Amino acid sequence: MSTPTKLTRAISVIAHVDHGKTTLSDRLLEYTGTVAPRDMVEQVLDQLELERERGITIKAQAVRMLYKADDGQTYQINLIDTPGHVDFSYEVSRALAACDGAILVVDASQGIEAQTLANVHQALEHHLKIVPVVNKIDLPQADPELVREEIEKVIGLPAESVIFASARQGIGTKEILEAVVREVPPPTGDPAAPLRALIFDAKFDAYRGVVTYVRVLEGTLRKGVRAQMMQTGKSFEVDEVGIFRPERTPVDDLSAGEVGYLIANIRNVRDSRVGDTVTDAARPAPTPLPGYRHVTPMVFAGLFPTDSDQYQQLKEALEKLQLNDAALVYEPETSAALGFGFRCGFLGLLHMEIVQERLEREFNLTLLGTAPTVEYRVKLRNGEEVPVDNPDHLPSPSEIESISEPIVLATIVVPSAYVGNMMQLSQERRGQYLNTVYEPGDRVVLTYRMPLAEIIHDYYDQLKSRSKGYASLDYELVGFEEANLVKLDVLVGGSPVDALSMIVDRSKAQQQGRRLAEKLKTLIPRQLFEVPIQAAIGGKIVARETVPAMRKDVTAKCYGGDVTRKRKLLEKQKEGKKRLKRVGNVEIPQEAFMAVLSLD
Amino acid sequence: MERIHSLYLHVPFCTWVCKYCDFNAYAVLEGLIPRYVDALAREIELAGAELPIGPLDTVFIGGGTPSLLTTAQLRQLMAPVGSIGIAPGAEITLEANPSNVTTEHVDGWLEAGVNRISIGVQSLQPDALRFLERLHSGADAIAAIRTARAGGFSNINADLLYGIPGVTLAGWLESVDAVLAEGVQHLSAYELTVESKTRLGQEVRTGLVRMPDADDQLEQYWAAAARLEAAHYLHYEISNWARPGFACRHNLASWHYQPYLGCGAGAHSMFRRNDGRTERRWNINGPHAYIKQASASGYAVAGSETLSTERARGEAAMIGVRLLEGTDAVSDFPAERTQLVRAGLLAEHHGGVRLTRRGIELANQVGAAFLR
Repeated sequence: MSTPTKLTRAISVIAHVDHGKTTLSDRLLEYTGTVAPRDMVEQVLDQLELERERGITIKAQAVRMLYKADDGQTYQINLIDTPGHVDFSYEVSRALAACDGAILVVDASQGIEAQTLANVHQALEHHLKIVPVVNKIDLPQADPELVREEIEKVIGLPAESVIFASARQGIGTKEILEAVVREVPPPTGDPAAPLRALIFDAKFDAYRGVVTYVRVLEGTLRKGVRAQMMQTGKSFEVDEVGIFRPERTPVDDLSAGEVGYLIANIRNVRDSRVGDTVTDAARPAPTPLPGYRHVTPMVFAGLFPTDSDQYQQLKEALEKLQLNDAALVYEPETSAALGFGFRCGFLGLLHMEIVQERLEREFNLTLLGTAPTVEYRVKLRNGEEVPVDNPDHLPSPSEIESISEPIVLATIVVPSAYVGNMMQLSQERRGQYLNTVYEPGDRVVLTYRMPLAEIIHDYYDQLKSRSKGYASLDYELVGFEEANLVKLDVLVGGSPVDALSMIVDRSKAQQQGRRLAEKLKTLIPRQLFEVPIQAAIGGKIVARETVPAMRKDVTAKCYGGDVTRKRKLLEKQKEGKKRLKRVGNVEIPQEAFMAVLSLD
Repeated sequence: MERIHSLYLHVPFCTWVCKYCDFNAYAVLEGLIPRYVDALAREIELAGAELPIGPLDTVFIGGGTPSLLTTAQLRQLMAPVGSIGIAPGAEITLEANPSNVTTEHVDGWLEAGVNRISIGVQSLQPDALRFLERLHSGADAIAAIRTARAGGFSNINADLLYGIPGVTLAGWLESVDAVLAEGVQHLSAYELTVESKTRLGQEVRTGLVRMPDADDQLEQYWAAAARLEAAHYLHYEISNWARPGFACRHNLASWHYQPYLGCGAGAHSMFRRNDGRTERRWNINGPHAYIKQASASGYAVAGSETLSTERARGEAAMIGVRLLEGTDAVSDFPAERTQLVRAGLLAEHHGGVRLTRRGIELANQVGAAFLR
C-alpha cells in the first residue's frame, strides 16, 4: 500500500457552518470507495453523538482515501477534519499544520460568510493551497456565478479555479478530487531523514491505550521503533502504526507526507500532546517541529452532582473522560452550598459545556455547573503568592497585598462595517486597544489586550451578535496584570451561597451586584416562602431583591380522568425539580449559577 | 379484582361547547344520541356481565349535558344499570343544564331512579354568563333549582364558577348568596381554570382576555368559603361544600380511592386488581369512534396503566389530602407528612392530617410531595 511521496496529498475541508463540509467529506469517502455507500452513516467523520447533534466537530478526524486520477496514477489523499470553535483553535491550527491544502466550501445561495473568511485566513497562515468549491448548486435559490465572483473579489482566488458542486447529489466530486491532486503540492519531506511526525490529535481506546494521530513530515515511522515525544521527553515502544480507512488499519510504516496513527501503550493522553513532535529515540531529529504550545486550562468551574449520591460516579466519569481529553483538569472541591464536587479546568466555555454534556449523557449524571472563572494570582501581605481559581477561596481582604488577573491578546477579524461595534464592546470589557490592520477582502484585524475574565463572560456571544456572526476571535494568554478586584458574595435566603461568589472589577462591583440580584430574582422559582437575595461586598450589602412566596398552586377539579392527568403533571414538575439544587431550603436552578455570565 | 360499587356514565353531547370547557364534549352531534345510547347501554351490559360489580352504591351520569337525553333514553341507560343491581339508598346523580330542567324532565328523571341533581348554574351575573357563553340566564338557573325541588328532588347541587374576568367580589358573592337562598344541599365552587386547548386558552394567550390574578381568585374563594361556613355547609373538599349528610357519595368514593367503573366516550375507570395493584383505564374519546367500537363489541377501552403499589399510594395521598375533614391517606409518607406539617401546609387532625388554609392554596405542592 506504499505510495510514492509525490502521489501523496494531505488536505482539510473548511467551510462556514452548514455550508456542507460534512456532506462533501462523505461524498469524497464514497467516491473514492473508502466507505461503501451502504455503510455510510450520515456524517461518518463526526463520531461523537454530541458532535452530530450540534453539528460541530470536537475532535479532529483523519481518513486516507485512494484515488485513481485521470492521469492514470493512484493518489493517496489524506483528509483531516478539523474542530470548529475558538476554544479549540490550537487544535485547529495543528490539524491545519498537518495539511498541504484545503478544500474551501462555500454555499451557492449564502455566499461567503463570517467563518468562511476566518477559515481562509487560517489556511493561508499555514500556507495551504486552497481549492475553492461552490456547493449546493442544485438548490433553487443558488446563484453559483455570483458566489464565484465573490470568491475572486473577496478572497482573491481566480474565478476559473472555482468548482461547482452539489455534495448532496454528488455533482463535482470528481472535479474536486482532480483539483486536489493537480493543485495541492505533494509533501516535500525526506523519507530517509530523522523522523519528525506532528501529533494533531490523540484518543483513548479502552483496549489499546492512547491512539496518537500523526502526520509524518520527515523520515519514516515504523512499528517497533522507540517513539520519543520531543516536548515531554517521554518515549514509548511503538506497537502498531496504521492508517484510517476510516477504521484503523495497521500498516508497516508511515513515511514522510503520510497521515495515520501510532499505538505505543501510552496510558494517558497527556503523554501524547497535540502539537508535540514524535521522533525516533534511536535516531532523534535535532529540533522539534515549530508551533508547539503547552495547552493549559483557561477557565475554571465547579461541577457538582445534583444528587450527592452521584459523587463517586462523577469521579469515575471524569477519570474516564480525562483519558480522552488532555485539556481537562480537575480536583475535588467542597462547597458549603453544593456539597462535594470537582473544580475543573477547561479551554473555554464551549469546552466546559461539552464536558458537562458528555458527563451527563455518556455517564448518565445530573450535574450542576457553577459560573466559570479564570485563575487569579493573589499576592499576600506575607509575601506569598497563591493561585485562586475559585472566588470562594479568595483570602480575606486584610491578607491581600494585590490581585493579578490573566491577560490575553485578543485578535478579532471582522468586516469593516462592524469595527465600531467591536471597539465599543471591547472597551466595555476593559479592553486595551492595540492595533488595527486592514487586509484585502474587507477584513479588519483588531488587536486588544484584555482581561480573560471579560472574555469568558459572554464576550464571544456578544462579539458574534454585534457583528451578525461575522467576527472571529482568537486569543492567547500573554501574562498577568495587577487589577483592582473585589469579591462579590451572594446570599440567598439569608445564607451565603459560595458557588455564586464572583471576583469583579471594583469599579463595576456595585452595579454587577445589583444586576446579579435582579437576574437571580427572575431565575429562582417562587418557593413556599419569600426568598431574599442579597449581594454583598466585604460584608456590606450592596443589593437586595426578593422572590415573593408562591401565592397559589391548586387545581380546582380532581375527578375521574383529572386524576391521571394531574398525577402526570405533578410527576413531570417533580422530574424538572431534580435539576434544581437545594441550598438550605431554597431550590436554585442551574441557570442561576450561570447568571453571572451575562450581566450586561 | 376488588368488587366495584360505583358507576360513572358519560354523555358527551352539548348544545354548545362553552369556551372554557375542556371536557370530552361535542356540539352539533345531537343526531348521534340515539346510537350513542344504544352503544353505551351495550357497554354497561357487557361490563356488568364481565366485571365484579354491584350492587351499586353510587351512579353518576355526567357530561357533556346528560339532561339532553329524553326520558326514554335515560330509561334505556338505566335498564342495564338496574341489572347490575342498585343498592337500597344508592345515590344516583344526573348533571343538568338549567335550560333542560323542565317539569316533564324532572318527573322522568325521578321515575328513572335519579335522586340527586347537579345543576350547572356557573354564575348569576349576566355579563359573566355571556363571557362564559352559557345559553341560559341567571333567572333560568334559579328557576331550574326551583323546578327540581318542586318536582321532588331533595338533593340538589349547584355548580358555580369564580375568578371570572369582569366579575367583582361583590358580584361573585351575590351569585353564592342567591344560590344558597334556594336551599341547595350541595355547592361546588370551581375556579375558572384556563385550559390551553380551549378557546379561552387561546384568548388568554393572545392577550384578548386577562384573567384575574391569584390574589383576586383566592379572595373570592375564601369569601365564598366564609359565607358557606356561616350557612352551615361543610367544606369537605377543596371545591365542594355540603349540608351535613349531603356530600357527594360518588365523588367521595373515588377520593377515598375506591374502585369505580366508567362507561361512555372518554370515561375513566379505576380497578383494584387481586395483586393489590391499581389499574386505570380510559375509553375512546370521540363519540363516532366510541359508537362504532362499543356497538360492535361492547368494549371501547383506548388505553390503560397499572400503577405500582407505591405510585398508587402516592396518588391516593395526592387525592386524599384534598378531603378537608382530614385523611389518613398520607400515613405511608411519614417524612413528607412531618415536613409538610412543619411547613404549615398540613395540620394534625384526629390522628390524620388536613390541609391548612395555606395548604389549600398550595394543594398541588402538597400533593406532589407524595409522588416520587
